[in-house]
Amino acid sequence: MKKIGSVMIALIIVGLLLGTVLSCSGKKEAPAKAAEKVEQPAKKLKAGFIYIGPVGDYGWSNAHDVGRKFAQSKLPWLETVIVESVPEGDAIRIIDRLVNEEKCDVIFTTSFGYMDDTVKAAEKYKNTLFFHCSGFKRAPNLGTYFAELYQMYYLNGLMAGALTQSNKVGYVGAFPISEVIRHIDAYALGVKEANPKAKVEVRWIFSWYDPAKAKEAAQSLVAAGADALAFTEDSPSVIEVGQEHTKKGKKVYTFSHYSPMQKFGEDSVVSGQLVDWGPMYVKILTDVYNGQKDFSSYDLWWLAADNAALLGGEIGQPINPKFVDLLKSKKIKSADLGEMNAYDYVMKRYEQIKTNQFEPFTGPIKDQKGVERIPAGKKADPAHLLSMEYFVENVVGEIPRK
Amino acid sequence: MVGLIISTLHRTIMAGTSLLLGTTGEILTERSGILNLGVEGMMNLGAVAGFMVTYRTGNLLWGVFAALLAGGAAAALHGFITVYVKANQTVSGLALSMLGVGLAGVLGKPFIGHQLPVRLEQIEIPLLGQIPVLGELLFHQDPLFYGGIVLAFASWFFLRYTRTGIRIRSVGENPRASESQGIPVEKFRFLCTVGGGAFAGLAGAHVVLSYSTSWTEGIVAGRGWIVVGLTIFSLWNPLRGMIGAFLFGGIFVTQYVLQPLGVPPNLLAMLPYGATLVVLLLDGLRKDQRSLHAPAALGEPYSR
Repeated sequence: MKKIGSVMIALIIVGLLLGTVLSCSGKKEAPAKAAEKVEQPAKKLKAGFIYIGPVGDYGWSNAHDVGRKFAQSKLPWLETVIVESVPEGDAIRIIDRLVNEEKCDVIFTTSFGYMDDTVKAAEKYKNTLFFHCSGFKRAPNLGTYFAELYQMYYLNGLMAGALTQSNKVGYVGAFPISEVIRHIDAYALGVKEANPKAKVEVRWIFSWYDPAKAKEAAQSLVAAGADALAFTEDSPSVIEVGQEHTKKGKKVYTFSHYSPMQKFGEDSVVSGQLVDWGPMYVKILTDVYNGQKDFSSYDLWWLAADNAALLGGEIGQPINPKFVDLLKSKKIKSADLGEMNAYDYVMKRYEQIKTNQFEPFTGPIKDQKGVERIPAGKKADPAHLLSMEYFVENVVGEIPRK
Repeated sequence: MVGLIISTLHRTIMAGTSLLLGTTGEILTERSGILNLGVEGMMNLGAVAGFMVTYRTGNLLWGVFAALLAGGAAAALHGFITVYVKANQTVSGLALSMLGVGLAGVLGKPFIGHQLPVRLEQIEIPLLGQIPVLGELLFHQDPLFYGGIVLAFASWFFLRYTRTGIRIRSVGENPRASESQGIPVEKFRFLCTVGGGAFAGLAGAHVVLSYSTSWTEGIVAGRGWIVVGLTIFSLWNPLRGMIGAFLFGGIFVTQYVLQPLGVPPNLLAMLPYGATLVVLLLDGLRKDQRSLHAPAALGEPYSR
């Protein structure tokens, strides 16, 4: 019997190893069918994608994968391979594999934490092109790209400020890093513009993806009196909390994040932020295909004006139709636009943002201690936005020390 | 302030229910002498099975049944490997954990981003639900909470006072002596493992059918591991397990309530494990060691 036992253990271990290998080898997807109809192009391109989370997170990694599929459908000469759930410390091993075994021509590393590994890999593999999402280090064969959402958070803030009854607005944040702080600040600026009395409360969950933590953080905000919630976390948990309370008769408004989450809370989701990585991947891959060689100054930072960031909790619906009338009954006033109903006001600002006529971070902007961070009339430059480490004045609480 | 406390306690019960179900099951399994570290995997499988079936059929009962079945089936695998093949229980349990999480992820792929059409609604118990505060806390909950409480009491009674329960415990303490008394050790151990797995499946069902109503990969989020800790915390007593489950649930919920006061959440997230260590320590210092130790044959394969 002992022997059978060890055989079983060996089998289990082999099975586990096999499972790991299989999950790492990713799913290869053949080039789009369209390729066969068009005459066979001479050159092919193979792109590898490395994701931080499971494609099934319904947030960040999911959005990148939707973008990848879009590029696949548009570019007949493209072949792609993905590796999901790669921990940040493990990227170099996966890159090695994608270069040596999968023979990828282009590799996309889609998390900030992959930056140093990507830089090292770019030095090691001079004939492979790398694109790192959200980073700032570049090389001749390493470009960067990012789709930025803060303008959408500002618009969400306008709506949250107009709708809140308790003058308490909540935010569930992932990590206290400048990207999330920027989003909270943009949201708070919108809230303040619509409702100078309202305050923004923040809860940190110290995770990009943890449905249970996000849920409890949102519940604690509601318990503390907040009735409008935005968040940075890759699951619809916060929305579910809003929907639950709304159904029971206590109105809690929520703003969807990253992927279209409106269907998780039809009665609660007012709007949200959506990202469309598709056109960006098409642009990058087309540039590569067309023979661009030097990428040392290749840095795509796409905003609403580039259609990379969209307003809404559902594609094609900037504002949930259920809330249009309610927003039309509220008023927002500002020096440049005068007084308007909240719906028209938000749409007007959206229009201005899309045509680069309005920047939410325009001075005077003060931090919590009253120190002026952006002087009157000045717009924040990208460097300021990228290194934001302070809360604006209507945010409650401190930024946790790292 | 009172509202905040009530809502926190209410959330505590919501968050503790799946822990309660899982812990009751694991106590049953471990009392028979089998250590099953695969709770996380079984909960994930139960969750995904419960979600898939409920989503397809729109029927919660079928979903709960599927979760029970999935948890039980996964545990049967562990039972077969450890009881009949007599392999190392730790290795098999860890493998089951990883297998379960992975398999649930693969099976659940097509269901990501879908909202469940129905959910386990909270039910008010007539009369009892009218009691101020207490009624709202304890008698406005979902069916699995009531089920969990009943099952915990039943398990306690079963293990302590019934003939079969005493036999199960004796199998976990001294399988050789039990066998000489004519108890079929392997059969007992296997059935307890499967039963414990069914409980874990039920715990998984609570996560996706009541606590949340969508499936995302990793939604169980380490609760299975907390269950393993809780089983030790409870010193293998279902009633203490009940207290522990809601204590741990409470700690999980409170971290966000306390955050604005400057209490670091990481510290609070660590508390359940710290509490388990403290209980073990206190227990080790007690004079009366007889009734409180782990089942003596826990984790040891038994062969004639």
